[in-house]
Amino acid sequence: MAAIEVRGLERHFKGGIKAVDGIDFDVSEGEIYAFLGPNGAGKTTTVRMLTTLLRPSGGSAHVAGFDVVSEAAAVRKAIGVALQEAALDPLMTGRELIRLQATLHGISSRRGAELGDALLGRVGIDYAADRRVGTYSGGMARRLDLALALVHEPSVLFLDEPTTGLDPVSRKAIWEEVRNLNDEGTTVLLTTQYLEEADQLAERVGIIDAGIMVAEGTPAALKAEVGHPHLELRLAGDGAVRAEEILRAFGQTRAPTNGSICVEVASGAAGVAPVVRALDDAGFEVESLELRLPSLDDVFVEKTGHSLEPAADPASEAAEQLQDTPGNPA
Amino acid sequence: MSAAAAELRTVALLSRRALNEIVRVPGAAIPGVLAPTIFMLGLTAAFGNLILLPGFGTDDYMSFLVPVSMMQGAGFSGAATGVNLARDIEQGWFDRLLASPASRRSLLAGLVVSASLRALLPASFVFCVGLAFGVTWPGLLGLAIAIPVVMLTAAVASCWGAMIALRFKSQSAAPLMQSAMFMLVLFTPSYAPQELLTGWLQDVARYNPLSQTLEAIRQGFIGDVSWAETWPGLLAVAALAAVLSVFALRGMQRMAD
Amino acid sequence: MAAPILIFPSLFLALNTGGAGRAIDLPGFPAVDGFLDFQIAAALMQSTMMGGLTGGIALAMDIETGFSDRLMLSPISRFSMVLGRLAGAIVLGMLSGIYFLAVALIFGASIQSGVLGALLIIAMAGLSAAAFGGVAAALAIRTGRVSSTQGVFPLVFVLIFFSTAFFPENLLLEPAQTIAAWNPFSFIVDGVRNPVISEMSAGPIGEGLLATFGVMAFGIALSALALRSRLRSGG
Repeated sequence: MAAIEVRGLERHFKGGIKAVDGIDFDVSEGEIYAFLGPNGAGKTTTVRMLTTLLRPSGGSAHVAGFDVVSEAAAVRKAIGVALQEAALDPLMTGRELIRLQATLHGISSRRGAELGDALLGRVGIDYAADRRVGTYSGGMARRLDLALALVHEPSVLFLDEPTTGLDPVSRKAIWEEVRNLNDEGTTVLLTTQYLEEADQLAERVGIIDAGIMVAEGTPAALKAEVGHPHLELRLAGDGAVRAEEILRAFGQTRAPTNGSICVEVASGAAGVAPVVRALDDAGFEVESLELRLPSLDDVFVEKTGHSLEPAADPASEAAEQLQDTPGNPA
Repeated sequence: MSAAAAELRTVALLSRRALNEIVRVPGAAIPGVLAPTIFMLGLTAAFGNLILLPGFGTDDYMSFLVPVSMMQGAGFSGAATGVNLARDIEQGWFDRLLASPASRRSLLAGLVVSASLRALLPASFVFCVGLAFGVTWPGLLGLAIAIPVVMLTAAVASCWGAMIALRFKSQSAAPLMQSAMFMLVLFTPSYAPQELLTGWLQDVARYNPLSQTLEAIRQGFIGDVSWAETWPGLLAVAALAAVLSVFALRGMQRMAD
Repeated sequence: MAAPILIFPSLFLALNTGGAGRAIDLPGFPAVDGFLDFQIAAALMQSTMMGGLTGGIALAMDIETGFSDRLMLSPISRFSMVLGRLAGAIVLGMLSGIYFLAVALIFGASIQSGVLGALLIIAMAGLSAAAFGGVAAALAIRTGRVSSTQGVFPLVFVLIFFSTAFFPENLLLEPAQTIAAWNPFSFIVDGVRNPVISEMSAGPIGEGLLATFGVMAFGIALSALALRSRLRSGG
């Protein structure tokens, strides 16, 4: 039985806005699934529907076997939720908050204290447990938020943008914790705008744009679908055009721009040496080279026509151009 | 833990959390206490000689006003919990509560209980200030009636504040919460007895349920305590609280719409 | 913004009139057509006082957020920043005057001094707004903080209650009676009240104008001093 089952889920807002316009997906028990998409794609809206905070306008969803509309109370007992804003009361201490959360879940005060203290230690903020949350850093707040979501040992965990705005160290710590939880059998649905996060953490990724699911699959499968690794080279001296002719023998090339040439190398790293040897034999000096692997952003661009990352990444631009040239099997 | 015990404990912890605002933030309680006190002292200084009017029924204006100030304090305390709910909604804290298995009525109860307790602060302050200025001691029976009625008034204000907060989901609706309670408390025989009110106020005060509530609290300060004076005010404020709490609960359920 | 300047004083006006209206029957109460006639001046002065304070709070917010620093860098005279606000306050005060006169007439009061009296009232409302605005501006510039400027609200209410705004001096309770005798706000309100409840007489109106200009001078002087010290210390 799927931990999360979504069929044709829709959510409309006043003014005809279709935040979620028919989404279907399943998350198996014990899986880590990531929603990847830009701001406004409908990720948060979907999560809010699955956590019973928002009523769907259409379609259906089951979480932990319960219908999110008709069996909302049962859903709430089974899920842990850490939403986008780590909504914590600044006047309370970490310990008080986790006791409160335990009480909200009907856990007795003694058991709540045990579980709470254990969790605070597990996420690494036990040293600050008796300080007011208002004094916590962003990373500490997120970790407390995660601890709060776990106090009742939920079978399904929802994390909405869990590491947005965090420093790299805190981000890695959260990832580590999510993996541990998953090892223990917790199903995790997380939303993110960060490619790396989806790539690193998720077993499967659902790419969302403008309220619909545009692609779904494991990160590897998705990337293989749309792109091949390519080599970006910078050569000393002139003759870039002649170099490009030579490189065409290896795979799709891109006309020289800004002094760099691109060539597709289907075999990835293994294909680098032959290319370099060929150029060397022809008398070219390679100043720099970089092997670029397809990214989930490439997948995103392929499916939606625009990039996920706000600042255009030169590598993805190059990849885009390679794909656009005729003859490329996309 | 049994379900009932769990709910009670939820209400207790949520009330304690709501009270943090005045307990853990120095000076946060001051406006709520200062305003009704200034109003009581100022109104007495300005209108104190209204007692000279035939039929006023007492020669001590401040004793006449103290119950009004206690209700004002209750109204403000309740409205403040409504503003806090609006803030909690804006900042996502309320989502945390809604996504938990806690019943909606325990969430509301936490708010209402905190308001009722909080109202005791301005109420006791104006009471003590009044006593210092020679206000009549209402007797233990008078106090035994006044205190729960004041707390119920705060409950009414809290449910009203919650309704507004859930409807508008923004702290900018605060004036609506505060001014409605302000009017409800003052559109009563607040300045003078019912018979001596003039014009529109005489009609409005006649039909305002909180006029009865005011009279119930006023017992002991002015005149004797009797059941006949008590039950209408008690019923009015209890019924109002019950009705508004239904609307507030419905508002909570509508959050998912 | 309309709330403290128009709605709240209107509410108070209605409440005072409905609640204490029988006061006109008290021995020693000045001869008036109705309690509303007596109260109008109080509501109007409350409104201009609130308007002045609101302007001060806005100025304090500008200072606190650094917006006024930007203004200070511009070539316009620094002091004209304050004067500009005062001009705005005068207009707002006059509009309040028109509003409350209209309210008075609609609800059955009459202006004993006729059209001339009404015009005088509107003028005095504008002047009082400038006076209160000046003091509020001084407070804002001196403290540079919204919370400190807002904190003066309770004081304002005490000032209003312990004056002849709501009740005639002879019928106030001590110590309000003594305080009101010296309170500049009493003179200002009595000055505005005079054309409403009787033929214009130089005494109360003169005293009212004197008090208004006094407060205005006080406010402007304080503002100038505060501005100078703020500029000297670098804002």
